[in-house]
Amino acid sequence: MSPLLAISTDFLTASGFWIGVGILAGVYGIFTLGLQLNVGYTGILNFGQAGFMAIGAYSAVILVVSVGLPFLLALPISMLITMTVGLLVGLPALRLRADYLAIATIAFAEVVRITIQNSDSLTGGNQGTISLELDNNRIFSQAWFDVSDWISLNVFDQIGLTGPDYINLPLLAVAWLTLIVLAFGLSRLVRSPWGRVLRAVREDEDAARALGKNAFSYKLQSLAIAAGLGGIAGWFLVLNLQSVNQTSFEPIFTFFGYLILVLGGLASFAGVLVGTIVLWTVLEGLRFLDLPLDGGQVAALRFIIVGLVLILLVAFRPQGALGKKEEMVLSD
Amino acid sequence: MTEAVATHSPAPTAPGDRGPMLEVEAVHKHFGGIQAVRGASFAVKRGSITALIGPNGAGKTTLFNIVTGFYRPDSGRILYDGSSIYGQRPYRIARRGMVRTFQITKALAAMTVIDNMMLAGAGQPGEHLLTLLARPLASRRRESEVRERAMGLLATFNLERKADDYAGTLSGGQRKLLELARALMPEPRMVLLDEPMAGINPTLGRRLLQHMEELRERDGVTFLFVEHDMDVVMNHSDEVVVMGQGETILVGTPDEVRADERVIDAYLGGGAPAESGEETGRLAEGSPPQENKPDAR
Repeated sequence: MSPLLAISTDFLTASGFWIGVGILAGVYGIFTLGLQLNVGYTGILNFGQAGFMAIGAYSAVILVVSVGLPFLLALPISMLITMTVGLLVGLPALRLRADYLAIATIAFAEVVRITIQNSDSLTGGNQGTISLELDNNRIFSQAWFDVSDWISLNVFDQIGLTGPDYINLPLLAVAWLTLIVLAFGLSRLVRSPWGRVLRAVREDEDAARALGKNAFSYKLQSLAIAAGLGGIAGWFLVLNLQSVNQTSFEPIFTFFGYLILVLGGLASFAGVLVGTIVLWTVLEGLRFLDLPLDGGQVAALRFIIVGLVLILLVAFRPQGALGKKEEMVLSD
Repeated sequence: MTEAVATHSPAPTAPGDRGPMLEVEAVHKHFGGIQAVRGASFAVKRGSITALIGPNGAGKTTLFNIVTGFYRPDSGRILYDGSSIYGQRPYRIARRGMVRTFQITKALAAMTVIDNMMLAGAGQPGEHLLTLLARPLASRRRESEVRERAMGLLATFNLERKADDYAGTLSGGQRKLLELARALMPEPRMVLLDEPMAGINPTLGRRLLQHMEELRERDGVTFLFVEHDMDVVMNHSDEVVVMGQGETILVGTPDEVRADERVIDAYLGGGAPAESGEETGRLAEGSPPQENKPDAR
C-alpha cells in the first residue's frame, strides 16, 4: 500500500512540466503588475483585470487572424485598444469609492467575458480556439514560432537544453524577461514625481486635490496602464495555450492576481515576482501529491492547501513577502 | 526660503492694492433639508490674517469646502484675486495659489515626511507621465530644487530630523506643522487653515502664529483661518468674520467684533430669539450638533 502522504519524485525531473508552471507564473506576474499599480500604489480596487486580459488576448488574435494584420503591428494596436477600454471603464467607474469600484470592475470583466462567449462569429464563442484556425493561412503565433525557434537554436541548444521537454523554454525566457523589465520600469516609475502623486492619491485623495493634483486623472492613468499590462499578459496566455477561450478570463483569475499580491506584499513590484512563483509552485506542485484520493479530491485539496498558506501568511506575515509593514499599518 | 518671493510669478502685493484677495457673495449650500450655508458674504483683504469664527454648526467648514472647491455651492459668487472660482474643481483652485489645510489633519501617513513635502511642490514636469519620460532631466533638476525648498521649510518648522520618517509616526502637533509646511510648499498666495490650533500645545501654536505673521509680512501671503480659541483670534487677526446659522453675521476688526452684541447672541443663543437666548445657549454649548438643525423650517 502506498503511504498516507507521499510525494512522488517525478516532479524533480519533469522539466517540461515546470517550464509550463514557470510560464504561468510569468503570465500572471505581468497580469498582477497592473493590479499592484492599482491596488498597492493608487489605492483603487480593480477587480476587472481578467477582463482587460481578455480584451488584450482577443483583440490581438482577431487583428491577426480575422483582420490579417502582421503580428508585430497587431500587438501595439491591441495595446491601444486595451488601454482605451481601461480609460472608458475608468471614466464612470473611478468616480465610485473603493468597494463600489470593485463591484463595477468585476461586472465589467464579466460583461466582456460573456460577450465573448456569445459572439460566435468574432471570437469562436464557447469553442474559442480562434488562434488556431487556419483560414487564409493566418496563424496568430506564426511570428512567435519563428522567434521561438531562433532562440532555441541559438541559445538553448547551445547549452544542451534540447528536445521536446524544452520546446517551451523560449516562451518561459521571454515571458520572464518581459515581466522583469516591466517590474523594473514600474518600480522606477512609482518612485518618480508621477508615482509620488499616485501614492498620495492612495493615501488621501482630498489632500492630493488640495495640493493641486488632479486625483481623478491619476487614477485613470493608473487603470489604463494596468489594463495595458493585463493585455500583455493576455498575449502571452494565447502564445502559451495556442488557443484562446473565454474560460481563461473568469473572475477567479483576477482573484489569483490578488493572491499573488497578498503573498508577495502590497506596494512592491519585486513582491509580485515572489508571489507569482510561490502561488504557482504551490498550486501546481501539489499535483504531485501522491494520495489515496481521486482526481477531484486532489484538485480540491490543492486549493485547501493554498488557502492554508494564505491564512498562515496573514497571521504571521501580513505584509506579505516583500511588502513594507509600516505602509500597511500606517495607511488608514 | 528667501527665493520663495523671487521664484513665484506674480509679485506679492501690498494689502489693499487691487481689491480684496477673496470675495464671497451670497453663497448658499444645502444638504438635503439642511441649509448649511445660507447667504455668506464677506471679503478677505490682500495680505491680511482673517479669522472665521462662529459656534459649532455655523457653517464655517462647509464654507471652507465651498471656497476651495470641495463642495459645489447652490448659488452665490466667489472671486479669488478678482476672478471667479465659483464651482471650480479643488485642484484647479489650488493651482491658482489657494491652498488649504483640513480640520482633521491629512498627513499622508504611509509616505515619508519629505515625500509629503515634495508632493506639494508646484511646477514639477515629472508629475506628468509624458514629460517625465520625454524630459527626465528636467524632472530631476526640478526635484532637487523642490527637495531643497522642502528641507528649508522643514527646518523652519523643526521637522528636518523627521524628514525620512513616515508621516504616520509623527505626533498630532507635528502633523499639524507638517500640514502647514506642506501647504506652503507651492508658494501659495492665500492659505486657508481649518482650526490650526486645535490639538497642538501652546508653544507649537505660538510658533505657528509667528510663521503666519512672518509669511504675511515677507511674502504677502493672505490667511483665512477657522479658530475657536478667542485669544488667538483677538490677538492675531486683522479682521474677523463671524458666522452663525449659515450666515455671516458680522465682519470687523477684533475690537468691533468683541463689542458687538450679535456675536455674543450667536454664540450663546445659536441665533434663537433673544428672550430664549439664555436657555438655548446652555444647550448649544453642551451639544454642538443641535445648532445645525435650526428653526425647523
